[in-house]
Amino acid sequence: MRRAGPEQEAALVERAQEGDRAAFEELARRHADRLYAVVLRFVADPEQAQEVTQEAFLRAWRGIGRFQARSRFFTWLYRIGINEAKRHAARRPPVEVVSLDDEPIPEAPDWSEAPETRADQAELRGVLERAIRGLPIEYRAPIVLRDVEGLSTREAAEVMDLGEAAFKSRLHRARLAVRRTLDEYFLEVGP
Amino acid sequence: MIRRLIAHHRYMREHRWTHAHLSDYIDEGLDSGHTARVQDHVGICPDCHRVLATLRRTLEGLRALRTEPSPGVAGGVIERLRKAP
Repeated sequence: MRRAGPEQEAALVERAQEGDRAAFEELARRHADRLYAVVLRFVADPEQAQEVTQEAFLRAWRGIGRFQARSRFFTWLYRIGINEAKRHAARRPPVEVVSLDDEPIPEAPDWSEAPETRADQAELRGVLERAIRGLPIEYRAPIVLRDVEGLSTREAAEVMDLGEAAFKSRLHRARLAVRRTLDEYFLEVGP
Repeated sequence: MIRRLIAHHRYMREHRWTHAHLSDYIDEGLDSGHTARVQDHVGICPDCHRVLATLRRTLEGLRALRTEPSPGVAGGVIERLRKAP
């Protein structure tokens, strides 16, 4: 995400609210790639992610008059994108769901110091991707926004329209669930 | 016997509290008193020590999932916007 200065971005939003399509296109140039990366975590494939991203921007353009400057433009946009992705995801059959059980597995090894070859990294990446995809959307979104995309807690909570305490609680449960998936993985393959 | 039960009760209370605050601890979102509370318990609890260490490693893995920007996306969005009525 290209983070423009807040004043510059506010000026673009204001112009877009007055109907300036070029200003909105500039906002699209700044935010489209990161929104696409977020959406891709919620839908089946890159093609669908493109479609959902485009739909989200179209909705944002049509609703730009309702945007209120008390929140940042990209948090508002991400909220639209995630809601749009949820609508698409609801039409698909559910994937294998990761348990939100956060208790550590007692006999699991301590894999925190496990050395990683390049092949291990690729496999671990796959395990993490599947774990995220298996989380219910309400728990997937916090981890995607905060831990993968690197938003601050305040920004990510704003995208999800949650208070910070509620957001942190969901994030923690999601992180523990993903960590537990890795416990299961290392229990099987060894650290 | 009673003393041992009280000590166990305290230990379990700290265990549950610590387990619930490990993310806040990693994110440096606790004040100094609560930070010390986590550190004290993690220092004597092998389970919490392991969960904290593996949670940190999990977060490293999650951060590494961030993908490179996809420059073609904006073009498709703008084209769609221009076609829209």
